[in-house]
Amino acid sequence: MYLARIDGALVAAAKHETLQGCRFLIAQRIEADGSVGAEPVVAIDWMGAANGSTVLVSTDGDIARQRFGNTTPARLVVVGIVDRVQMPGTAEAVSA
Amino acid sequence: MRLGIVRGHVTLNLSVDAYRGRTLLIVEPVTMENLAAGNGLGGGKALVVLDELGAAKGQMVAFTEGREAANPFWPQAVSVDAYCALIVDSIHLKPLRNREAEVPK
Repeated sequence: MYLARIDGALVAAAKHETLQGCRFLIAQRIEADGSVGAEPVVAIDWMGAANGSTVLVSTDGDIARQRFGNTTPARLVVVGIVDRVQMPGTAEAVSA
Repeated sequence: MRLGIVRGHVTLNLSVDAYRGRTLLIVEPVTMENLAAGNGLGGGKALVVLDELGAAKGQMVAFTEGREAANPFWPQAVSVDAYCALIVDSIHLKPLRNREAEVPK
């Protein structure tokens, strides 16, 4: 699991049949120093994460398999929306 | 899933049975910089992605990697590393200045 910032959304007509009706978000992984990674990732969200918010992303597909069936290729799933990150020695990071 | 642009296709002479009738794409992953610029450039290290949706050269796709890439063939055991899960129609990004301002410190 890692923290990521939601930077946008994605629309796709052609997709794997198990992903019909899913919400796809463009996210960027947040490192310990607060910087973001170079490559964006596409995460599936059913919690309703807003643009710009910080979320917890799971890289395990089990929760997606439970929801979409055993044949789903879904892997990155938003499993939580972050209120606050506490890291001793740094200023508090708060979700926008 | 990561995002990438289809640069070409691979044709195999001999292959494992599961690849028959399916397409192998050469996909170049896209960096955030190029995605935001919309310049059609990738920037990542190219890889081969199995595709059942019929993605064409130049299209942007999202592909799953790892164990989940083989899930669509469940319960068959198939060695697939990367699977094209969707073909991107459009992407809506926040403006860059807003994104930079909201990096948690």
